[in-house]
Amino acid sequence: MFRYVLKRILIFIPTLFVISLLTFVLSVNVPGDPVEQMLGGGINAAEMGQSSSRLASEKAYIEKRKELGLNLPVFYFSLSSVAEPDTLYRVYKKSHKENLDHLIQMYGNWSQIQAYYHATQNLENAVLELKTDSSNAEAKIGLRDQIFVLYNQSNSSRIQNSLNVISDVFKKTPSIANIYPQYEAVSLAYQDMTTQATTYKNYIPTFHFYGTKNQYHQWVTKFLVGDFGISYQDGRPVKDAVWQATGKTMMISILSIILTYLIAVPIGVWSAKNKNSTSDQIVTTALFILYSLPSFWVATLLITFFGGGDFFEWFPTYGLGNDYDSLLIKAHHLVLPLFCWTYAGLAFVSRQMRGAMINSLSQDYVRTSRAKGVSERMVLWKHAFKNSLLPIITLFASVFPMAISGSIVLEIIFSIPGMGKLAFDVLNARNYPMVYTVVMFSAVVTMLGYLVADICYALVDPRISYSNKKS
Amino acid sequence: MSTVENKQDYWSYVKRQFKKNKRAVFSAWLVTILLLIAIFADFIANEKPLVFKNETGWHFPIIKNYGVQLGIAKWPTDWPSGRWNSNDYDQAFFAPIPYSPNTQDLNNAQYASPFETQDVASIRWRHWLGTEVLGRDILSTMIHGTRIAFMVGLVSMTLATIIGILLGALAGYFGDDRLKFSRATLLWIILLILPTYFYAFQSRMHLWSNAISESFLKFLFQLFVSVLILFGFIFLARTLSIPFKKIPWLQPKVNIPVDIIVQRMIEISVSIPSLFLIIAIVAIAKPSIFLVMAVIGLTSWTEIARFIRAELLKVRSLEYIEAARALGFSQTRIIFKHAIPNAVSPVLIAVAFGIASAILIESFLSFIGIGIPPEVLTWGKLLSLSRSAPWWFAIAPGFAIFLLVTLFNLLGEGLTDAMDPRQKK
Repeated sequence: MFRYVLKRILIFIPTLFVISLLTFVLSVNVPGDPVEQMLGGGINAAEMGQSSSRLASEKAYIEKRKELGLNLPVFYFSLSSVAEPDTLYRVYKKSHKENLDHLIQMYGNWSQIQAYYHATQNLENAVLELKTDSSNAEAKIGLRDQIFVLYNQSNSSRIQNSLNVISDVFKKTPSIANIYPQYEAVSLAYQDMTTQATTYKNYIPTFHFYGTKNQYHQWVTKFLVGDFGISYQDGRPVKDAVWQATGKTMMISILSIILTYLIAVPIGVWSAKNKNSTSDQIVTTALFILYSLPSFWVATLLITFFGGGDFFEWFPTYGLGNDYDSLLIKAHHLVLPLFCWTYAGLAFVSRQMRGAMINSLSQDYVRTSRAKGVSERMVLWKHAFKNSLLPIITLFASVFPMAISGSIVLEIIFSIPGMGKLAFDVLNARNYPMVYTVVMFSAVVTMLGYLVADICYALVDPRISYSNKKS
Repeated sequence: MSTVENKQDYWSYVKRQFKKNKRAVFSAWLVTILLLIAIFADFIANEKPLVFKNETGWHFPIIKNYGVQLGIAKWPTDWPSGRWNSNDYDQAFFAPIPYSPNTQDLNNAQYASPFETQDVASIRWRHWLGTEVLGRDILSTMIHGTRIAFMVGLVSMTLATIIGILLGALAGYFGDDRLKFSRATLLWIILLILPTYFYAFQSRMHLWSNAISESFLKFLFQLFVSVLILFGFIFLARTLSIPFKKIPWLQPKVNIPVDIIVQRMIEISVSIPSLFLIIAIVAIAKPSIFLVMAVIGLTSWTEIARFIRAELLKVRSLEYIEAARALGFSQTRIIFKHAIPNAVSPVLIAVAFGIASAILIESFLSFIGIGIPPEVLTWGKLLSLSRSAPWWFAIAPGFAIFLLVTLFNLLGEGLTDAMDPRQKK
């Protein structure tokens, strides 16, 4: 038994490793730039403003990025093509990086692409250095728009078009002729890039090894010592936020599981006892329907009918109340969510209970004990019930993860600040440290659920042994 | 020969048992009807007339539309377009529901209730389930939503079945002791893993991402090319290892514990909270119905793999497989022609339940508004609109989801009962 538990816990390690890799790969590929988001879109705003403020915000951007460790390579090693420089991760803006990636795919000549990128940057700086006056204000805005296009476009006709527009602007506004060479440089660099394409380089692989100075390693080592980082959104430690959310989800899940078993077991026993009677058939059908009802529909209907839609306003439908609210108010908030959390599991468990009871009631020992005059109640609860506990306990393994993943659905609908809602919000906000932690936490909780169920299984049924028996 | 006869016997037995279960038979019929509705949705609810007559003769605009979508026909310029119902035809026959999902009936905008009088010409034009805020007919959206629901269920479970059968069969048939490579082959496989990954996937990444955003067929094609490259490398590894097998040290066979590997894979993907993962993937990528299908399929293969594995572990030591091995049939042939057909029945059950849960997941995703592009109308999306709508709005889409899910669950149950030999009396 002990060895079995140990083995199971050892399996946790590769599983968690894979999950950590998965979440990490996912969050690295999320579109959008967390740094930009943290700075509150200041970068984009500053792009339209003065050069000094733009430089300042750029500096802030680079610093923030360094602080978050996002300037490091992503993983221990990378497999890439010769065309891709191993320094691409140093390009600090995600949108620029993506665009450069596209250009590499198209032309495969990094030195020319780099020259083009630097020329564009030079042009942008030159435009920003210009003193704004009435003669060039309009031209400046036009140039900035086009430079923005150059940064974010890889399509050759679009780039050509925007270069043409820029040259038109120069023709129309002679007062900015002093920065025309910068434009010429961009145009030349673009010509070089397109004419000296080395697309074949995209098909020659190279391998880079970065050592432990990478984002994944930093995150994992910190995670292992319990430092989950700081939430990008509000600067709170991730640990606190996730811990709070887990607490809420666990509370509701456990409450609903207890409720489920309290109601489902008697129903199952009762309908097994009255097997195939009319009332049993009604209950069985009703439970089947309950089981198939999508919880988000039920939740929507409950909110519409009892949450102050067109009908009754009996229950609050938002959140769980404040911390200082009395228990009664909190319970009031819990009624609708708890109902939704419970009903599906209820149907599931009682159907299984009924099946298990019917199975045990048809066993020989039940007949024997009836024959020797044991009271019906004793037969039912002492003999049959005890033996049908087994499938019920294993069900825990599926009820528990069900409650956790069910939390996503219901927490979003009822705005309960638990794990599910947190996961949803955090993903939408691209709050990486939170994403990793929430997914890892829910995986650990799910695995623990399975483990507990397996152990219970072995404890209840002495016939089951987890010694090394080969099938 | 005898196995074939036994198989037929078994299936006719299953059929008989299944027919005894009235609920299951009933749901099989209903599913068929709903499937027909899904297939012929364009002819049941459409703003275009099924057929109309004007000065140039009789025309079939709905059929024509298929041609236009496929790019083999052009939309005639002299036909009425836009507001189909206000045009003067010599004669016209409309679909039973004369509205498309995106037809805006401005006279009945702002949630025209199905229970009150509506501003329509006749009962023929009534919105039987009401309209939403822009005056779009709900019944029409429901009918077209059937199509998405079926598509998601079927496509994602097809994917899951393919993955599940492949991995489950590998694990069950080879177990931990039957797949052996010589050290030379293994060496080449290890050496070629990174280049294979590079050429089959990484260097084609941009092609993949373009294809996914364009169409499902293009995506399938790119997938096919990648798999082809993969097989090319496997072949390369085998060929290259032949001369190296002459070196004594590279000769001994190494055992690959396939079963352990696949079991770990199952364990890992079961421990990942799949809904979290699905939301994570779907939230990252561009909204696409195919992506949703693919992700659901990729997260729900474990059950099928488990069934197949268990069945094959049982089957692989049976006499007829031993006989096939003794006759010198190839491993692939034994697996696919002899072993898997006997493991089909539990897989069918898993697929039925899997379709139910895939439909549920998809409608939940559209309910919370991720993954499904805005122009695709689904039941879940309709349900999500109900939050700011009158009470009757939520009934129909929710009921439709519930109905389809229940029907597939009932089918699954019927199959379970029919295939369970303990039910034999």
